[in-house]
Amino acid sequence: MHPRFLRSSLAFAFCISSAAWGQSAGPQNAPQNGGDFSNATQPTTKVPKDVILVKGAWASASDSVTPIPESGNIVNNVYTNQYFGLTYPLPQDWYQKFQGPPPSDNGRYVLAQFRPTDTFKGAVRGSVLVTAQDMFFTQMPAANALELINYSKDHLPADYQVELPPEETKVAGRSFTFFAYWSPATELHWYVLATQIRCHTVQLAVISRDTKLLEKLVLDMNRMKLPLEAGPTAGTGGGAVPVCIKDFAQGENVLERVDAVLTERRFNSIPVRIIIDKEGKVKHIHFLSAFPEQEKAITDALKQWKFRPLLKDGQPVEVETGIIFGRVPRPVMAPQSNPVSE
Amino acid sequence: MKHRKLPLVTLTLVTLFLAGMAFAQTDPGVQGGSRGTGAPLASVASDAGLTSFFTDGQKRFQDVESVKGSPNGNNGLGPRFNSNSCVSCHSQPAIGGTGPAVNPQFAFAGSSIAPADSRPFFITQNGPTREARFPFFFNSDGSANTNNPNGGVEDLFTVTRRTDAGSCSLQQPSFNAAAAANNLIFRIPTPTFGAGLMENLDDSTLLNNQVNNLNNNFGISGTFNHNGNDGTISRFGWKAQNKSLHIFAGEAYNVEMGISNLVFQQDRPLPGEDGNGGSGGTGLPANCLNLTGTGYPEDTSNPDSTPNAAVLDDVSAFANFMRLLAPPPPSTTTPGGSASIARGRADFIAIGCATCHNPTPGNTQPSNITAGLGSAPVNSFSDIEIHHMGTGLADNVGQGGAGGDQFRTAPLWGLGQRIFLLHDGRTTNLITAINAHDSNGSEAELATDLFQSLSASQQQDVLNFLRSL
Repeated sequence: MHPRFLRSSLAFAFCISSAAWGQSAGPQNAPQNGGDFSNATQPTTKVPKDVILVKGAWASASDSVTPIPESGNIVNNVYTNQYFGLTYPLPQDWYQKFQGPPPSDNGRYVLAQFRPTDTFKGAVRGSVLVTAQDMFFTQMPAANALELINYSKDHLPADYQVELPPEETKVAGRSFTFFAYWSPATELHWYVLATQIRCHTVQLAVISRDTKLLEKLVLDMNRMKLPLEAGPTAGTGGGAVPVCIKDFAQGENVLERVDAVLTERRFNSIPVRIIIDKEGKVKHIHFLSAFPEQEKAITDALKQWKFRPLLKDGQPVEVETGIIFGRVPRPVMAPQSNPVSE
Repeated sequence: MKHRKLPLVTLTLVTLFLAGMAFAQTDPGVQGGSRGTGAPLASVASDAGLTSFFTDGQKRFQDVESVKGSPNGNNGLGPRFNSNSCVSCHSQPAIGGTGPAVNPQFAFAGSSIAPADSRPFFITQNGPTREARFPFFFNSDGSANTNNPNGGVEDLFTVTRRTDAGSCSLQQPSFNAAAAANNLIFRIPTPTFGAGLMENLDDSTLLNNQVNNLNNNFGISGTFNHNGNDGTISRFGWKAQNKSLHIFAGEAYNVEMGISNLVFQQDRPLPGEDGNGGSGGTGLPANCLNLTGTGYPEDTSNPDSTPNAAVLDDVSAFANFMRLLAPPPPSTTTPGGSASIARGRADFIAIGCATCHNPTPGNTQPSNITAGLGSAPVNSFSDIEIHHMGTGLADNVGQGGAGGDQFRTAPLWGLGQRIFLLHDGRTTNLITAINAHDSNGSEAELATDLFQSLSASQQQDVLNFLRSL
């Protein structure tokens, strides 16, 4: 072997040897960046604060254009919810400080919550809670807003007393059920207004120790804009609204069905609202609560489903319905026999 | 005449100021004195056999562990650990409780316990005992890799250069870098009084509570975390990630103290040391394994020992101790007097706090261990459900079915004598802790708002009630 080549080979071998030695000693004394270790005390990017990145079971939708219940927003102090076709001008000196939690796996939404600003002139504070209960997924033995409110009245905990039993009223030209109760301990009063929109019970609860404030808040709700009474094309927001029918996605209505394959038992309920187009295909999927891998598997399956188009007056119409995947929640009592539809 | 007016005006202002002070609600603070917390269940105290198991477990709970060579045979510590004794994190206000006023972890670094280590910046002498987690693994540039969730416990200390640890040499995780990347969260110890009662609640009781609570006008809808093995509701830990007290004890012994045991058989590397997070790690170095020289698990049963209690492994002894601990007795009179406490309790329920912090989620199922655990009310002030707590409390750690902002409703029994509050011990002030329930995405938003809607004296009643627990 040429001496120069030999020297080069030896030097190369030494280099390799050093590298190997350094590697084996490295993890104990000077771990490389990555995993649990980093030498960078000034990283270029940071985990954003006050953001929930690890979401667990969460809400999502197959597109960002179609309105969904939780997508309401506040602009110029007016709460607008395109899904429900609802606008609610907030009372003066009231605002939403924080957004509500994600939809629950039994179809409960906190749409908005308002409280007085720091410049509020009243002596006593109050709160406004706007919620919706998806009647496709409720565990309550109720098929509509009136039944739900009646159930609430009949099962009011002992800490509260009924002030006014449920009665029909009109707010902003629309039928509502009004119900009032109070807590003798705190002297807090709840005035609850509920109506039915798109197979949801939309509920506005105003709460305060000051009943005059509550009356003012309820009167102020006449400034709301709401969709027309329930009907096949009810609702002004989001264009023509589909007909909503509970349990539509079963029996003879389903022409082709591909079951979703969920690979892991997660113990959760996965309530899904779908909109079926006039040709009978699934055009929109809204997961109220699902883990990401569940969302993907169910979406892949639902896109292959084919439904018998629903005809109204001889014309096909879009249908909105709900399906529960995963764990079926236990109802409080036997469900009502009359299916929900509008 | 003018100069005579001044004292009157001054007096009026002082009176108004003092009156204002009197009506400003304050946290009554940690309640002193002994309420009898830390005692065994009455049915245990009257049974000599069970009492021997309770006291044996209580003693082991206080043992200080070494890596090897302990004269008392308390070996197996490390190679990574957060503390060397259960009681260092579970001692307030009695053995089995939560973190004490003076943090034992403060003295570890540089001492014979962890001679080569630096004290993490978040461990302070009078701060909470803590464990740390990185929600995400590091990228090579020091940023958090949000595509690669971590969430595992990053032990604070190592056995490096201990006289009983041989040549094992390890580096502490990069806490400063994690903090710089906003990739560092904390958890404090949960108290274990009454834990046996919570363990013995049947799932059906919890499920019935959940359904009954659906009918609330507070915007609250919880769910449960589940044990992946048998599918039943899990209930211990800040995210209800642990099914039983045996698993709870076994995991803590392994993760917090580095001691392998009958439930968790291996020495635990850091999350990334096991090859996760792109570190390329292949586990703990060979010279950090089997440091006791006795093989695994380091904690095992002792078949030849007497009396009966001594036969048990440490984890079983710990679990028995916790299981047999009586719930913490509340005070009916302090702070604030019985009338204020009673009013506060009623207010607490009326404003919705009790929807999650359920005063009594139910009675236990019959017990085959001791009568005190069977058919007994569980006054835990917790529904054991997990709830969305919003961005303000979210830690971005997922555990089982619980996402980054979901936490088990913290049981409030014993709250009167707890020092550090919330999952990370960020505050000692009850009002701050209540207000922290209010943030974007929290189920407790309205209940917190209603608390703030109460009059000052009503709020004080609620605070008195909470500190009476």
